Amino acid sequence: MLAGLLFLPPALAGCGLGGGSGSDEPDPLIALADAARADAALAAAAVAADRRLADALQPLVDARTEHAAALEAEIARLDPDRPSPAPAPPPPGRPGRAEVQQAVLASGRAAGEVALTLPPERVGLVASVAACCNAYAEVLA
Amino acid sequence: MTSSNPRIDETSVAALQNALAAEHAAIWSYALAVAFLSGADATRAREDEEAHRELRAQIEETLAQLGEPAASAQPAYATPRPVTDAASAAELAVVAESDTIAAWRSVLERSRDRALRQAALDTMSAATLRCARWRAAIGRTPTIPVFPGLQ
Repeated sequence: MLAGLLFLPPALAGCGLGGGSGSDEPDPLIALADAARADAALAAAAVAADRRLADALQPLVDARTEHAAALEAEIARLDPDRPSPAPAPPPPGRPGRAEVQQAVLASGRAAGEVALTLPPERVGLVASVAACCNAYAEVLA
Repeated sequence: MTSSNPRIDETSVAALQNALAAEHAAIWSYALAVAFLSGADATRAREDEEAHRELRAQIEETLAQLGEPAASAQPAYATPRPVTDAASAAELAVVAESDTIAAWRSVLERSRDRALRQAALDTMSAATLRCARWRAAIGRTPTIPVFPGLQ
């Protein structure tokens, strides 16, 4: 996967960091924190609907809750005036393992996309969140 | 900046060397661990060792392309705990995977190159999965680390 990476066209070089400071842009971590809360609520609803899913999904509820808190802390570091986010609304219906897997798969991809563009002091946290989500998506598949 | 490639600067090269050192240590760790494992665990340890050999080869190739000498393996490594049975062997695998995840995370933090970051992220995800399976083997919870590379 690393092999050949140096042969990429030079046009791609240096486009790693998008958009400069762009203070008008919303913090890209906000969407990731929202997704973390939504995943936690979805997985919790799946466990509530079927207790047999607790072993597989309760750790995910806890992990995504921790992700949301860590991302929220990083968002607040750059924007101390940000109001506390509303809790995620309960998901409709009776979600199952497959819905949770799809959600965490999408969250891992989204975090991975964002990680490619973040400054050094923020990329580690988001990369860890992405790797955790990707691992859950894999084991729940 | 000794690197002739403007995309991969000195800091990124140092991070890659650090990842290479972690891969050397992981290969050594699995070679030791497999002697204490049997059945499916031994098979998995060999597969995981192979994955790290591949990563090592890819880093070495990348460094060669950059004209940078690749860091060598140590003749031996100190294990955090003595490896004497299947459980301590699995524990060593957890340590080896955790160390490589941290090293690849550091590659992300020390490079702004998209392609290198993508490769590091993919590697972190694969290593997190390997780490989770060995954590499960020793009953560590949560099985999947919440912040891989941070803990």
